[in-house]
Amino acid sequence: MKKIHILPVLLGLGLVLSLSRCDKNPPENPAYAPYPETRLDSNAGNWALYKLLDGSGAATVDMAIPAIPAPDAVASPAYQAELDALRAAMSGASAEEKELALYWGGNGVLRWHEIARELAANYNVPPNYVYDSTGNPVYPPLVFNPANPDAYPRVPFANPPVTSRLLALLAVAQYNALVVAWDYKFQHKRLAPYRNASDITPLIPENDLPSYPSEDAVVAAASREILKFIFPREVANVTAKAEEHKKSRLWAGANVQSDLSVGDSLGRAVALSIIDGWAKKDKMGAANNQAGFQGQKDDATARGITKLWTSRDIPSRPPMLPFFGNVVTWNFDNATKIALRPPLPPQPGTAEFEKDMNELREISKNRTREQLRITAYWADGAGSYTPPGHWNRTAAELIYENQFNEIRSARAMALVNTALEDAGITCWDVKYYYLLPRPTEMDPSVTTGTGIPNFPAYTSGHSTFSAAGAEVLSYLFPNDAPRMREMAKEASESRIYGCIHYRFDCEVGLEVGQKVGAYAVTRGRNDGSDE
Amino acid sequence: MRQIYLIVFLFIGGNALAQMPTDALMMPHGQLCILGQYAQSEWENYWEGEKKRSNLNLGTFSSRSALLMGNYGITKNLNVMLGVPYVWTGADVSYISGQKGLQDLMLFLKYQALEISAAGGAFKVQATGGLSTPVSNYTPDLMPFSIGVHSQTASLRAVLNYTADFGLYVTAQAGHTWRSNTTADRDAYLFDNKLIYSDEMPVPNVFDYSARLGFIKPRYQAEVWYDAFTGLSGDDIRYNEMPQATNKMAASQVGFFGKYFVTKRLGVLATISKVLSGRNAGEALSWSAGVTYFLDINVPKETAAN
Repeated sequence: MKKIHILPVLLGLGLVLSLSRCDKNPPENPAYAPYPETRLDSNAGNWALYKLLDGSGAATVDMAIPAIPAPDAVASPAYQAELDALRAAMSGASAEEKELALYWGGNGVLRWHEIARELAANYNVPPNYVYDSTGNPVYPPLVFNPANPDAYPRVPFANPPVTSRLLALLAVAQYNALVVAWDYKFQHKRLAPYRNASDITPLIPENDLPSYPSEDAVVAAASREILKFIFPREVANVTAKAEEHKKSRLWAGANVQSDLSVGDSLGRAVALSIIDGWAKKDKMGAANNQAGFQGQKDDATARGITKLWTSRDIPSRPPMLPFFGNVVTWNFDNATKIALRPPLPPQPGTAEFEKDMNELREISKNRTREQLRITAYWADGAGSYTPPGHWNRTAAELIYENQFNEIRSARAMALVNTALEDAGITCWDVKYYYLLPRPTEMDPSVTTGTGIPNFPAYTSGHSTFSAAGAEVLSYLFPNDAPRMREMAKEASESRIYGCIHYRFDCEVGLEVGQKVGAYAVTRGRNDGSDE
Repeated sequence: MRQIYLIVFLFIGGNALAQMPTDALMMPHGQLCILGQYAQSEWENYWEGEKKRSNLNLGTFSSRSALLMGNYGITKNLNVMLGVPYVWTGADVSYISGQKGLQDLMLFLKYQALEISAAGGAFKVQATGGLSTPVSNYTPDLMPFSIGVHSQTASLRAVLNYTADFGLYVTAQAGHTWRSNTTADRDAYLFDNKLIYSDEMPVPNVFDYSARLGFIKPRYQAEVWYDAFTGLSGDDIRYNEMPQATNKMAASQVGFFGKYFVTKRLGVLATISKVLSGRNAGEALSWSAGVTYFLDINVPKETAAN
């Protein structure tokens, strides 16, 4: 017997073939479209600059102010020729270049922080072991090799401390450069080209901010230099991005070439000052001093720690940046950092310790879906922008929502990101002061909801970062303060739900982080921006 | 239902799709086959992108499942199948908690479009359409420990079979599975070096095909097979990182299947298979064992099993 129903089969096969080539892409990121910057902040040239470091690591040195030439007058032939060149650039702009004018035409400060977060995520690659000539698994040294830049491990390993420092350096360079630029802007008061030629209609919202030097070129150049310094493999990439950013101002009709050229020199000079005057003196170079780790262990034992942290990785991995706690803080001095150190954590065998350990045993056995979701949401582990990046993003979103102008954006980012690095330094100081093992080392029956970071437990980095970030954001955005504090609390508890921290790690971390953030808030209240 | 085996979507907690829709056998009108099956899949080596490696911090990964499935002959040319697996995962070295839970409810309709008696046997053409949907709120964001990618799927496949009257048969099938995007627990992730600010992850669609050669008699059946699947888009696992639902996974494997009817109604079956090559997938060795039982629900007298 035979029955023929070939048509549905052919239809089905046709559908399979027609759809089998279809591609799937992730959702588009938010565009962050340009908005009008109504607030000029004409006195922002007087806001306090971040000071640089002297030889002893104290922030006592005033940054040298780069000189710039006086601009050509609007009526001068030179400026009129620049306007003609601008008209040509605008009319010659391709559709793609006009899109780039909008991409860069919003908030340049935030755009460069977005780029930095993406770089951080891409470089947040924990080292993998390799087998040496005798067949033993070992970790290769984390050293950048210009002859083989693509080799793993990638340098830098953008872990939370490294990322916090990167974002702070970026934010401070942008802020100091913009404060200087604002001073020159209102000194020279040469307005944007569309204010000087009625036939020029920009692609982005107009404003009355003097445009010499260009705040966009300042931010592009300052950001470029910091990112080049941190990411030696990305020099060509970030240089191209900065060129695109500057050119986008021509395509948009927002700056003439001299606005941009002078802005670039100014931004570059300030960033190089930050690199020489801070980044090369902040003791980051000694943060990975593995030879000193034995001394830290001896000291912790002398302080009464009965069981010292060891790496949970196989093979045992050198601890992450054991001397990051010695890196220079932005918003307070070394004595303050030491005063912020919490007391000895509860020790195994004590009732206080066992109470928090038992909580983890219980969670490990019965972790709820919601606890697992919170663990993953805040984990910000390998391949992510790390907890400092998470709070950097939150700050950027709030700044965008509140439509801050360029200099207020830079100020907010500097306050938040210096507080985040300060939190990292303060927390790392405590971690290697007490060297408390992770819960899974105390009780191997405990299983986790996320990866175990390769450094001691007490106190929780997530908690310290989050409380510091939330404290500064609560000051900057009072309406969002309750939400920020809720977020910090959840980020902190996520580490308990993940069973990689004891509750006391998290609670103490939150307390210290809030105090750390308060120092940045104090700076913010006194930087001249409220006058 | 005479056989079932599981294509191993290896990083998706294993055993994600029951591929019974890939064989050429039909349930008679009015008869229901119930399958209970245990399956286990283990791997130590895996492909990070196209690079094969192991991981001292993971050890041996295993995924186990228990599947209950029914196949009912609506007519002799139209079967409906419904099943759901319970899956649990873990690794012997890793400290990360294994995951467990009911995974995805699967529904298939299998339609025999053509049956021609020819050359001492029969040639059959069938089409299968399938749908699946997660039945628990498991996480897709803790791979490889996640029990699945928490995606809804629709699939279409075609099956060609020739069975000689003395029992030898060959089957070829190919299918396409559309998979909906999934919702990660995170709201930022890297996709192809780009940072995506969303919790929505694209889950690649999948193309798979297989070829089988076997021998079937009323009391037993034995078969060897080759099958392969590949994601049609997606990125690779990043260096030394965990996989995620956006990864382009692919694997090919060979396997053996055997079935024996203890009585006319009760059958026992077993499979074993080994992954030969892969991408963003584990080099798994898998086996399963199960029982089938036939029930007459609404069988016309002349075709009843007893």
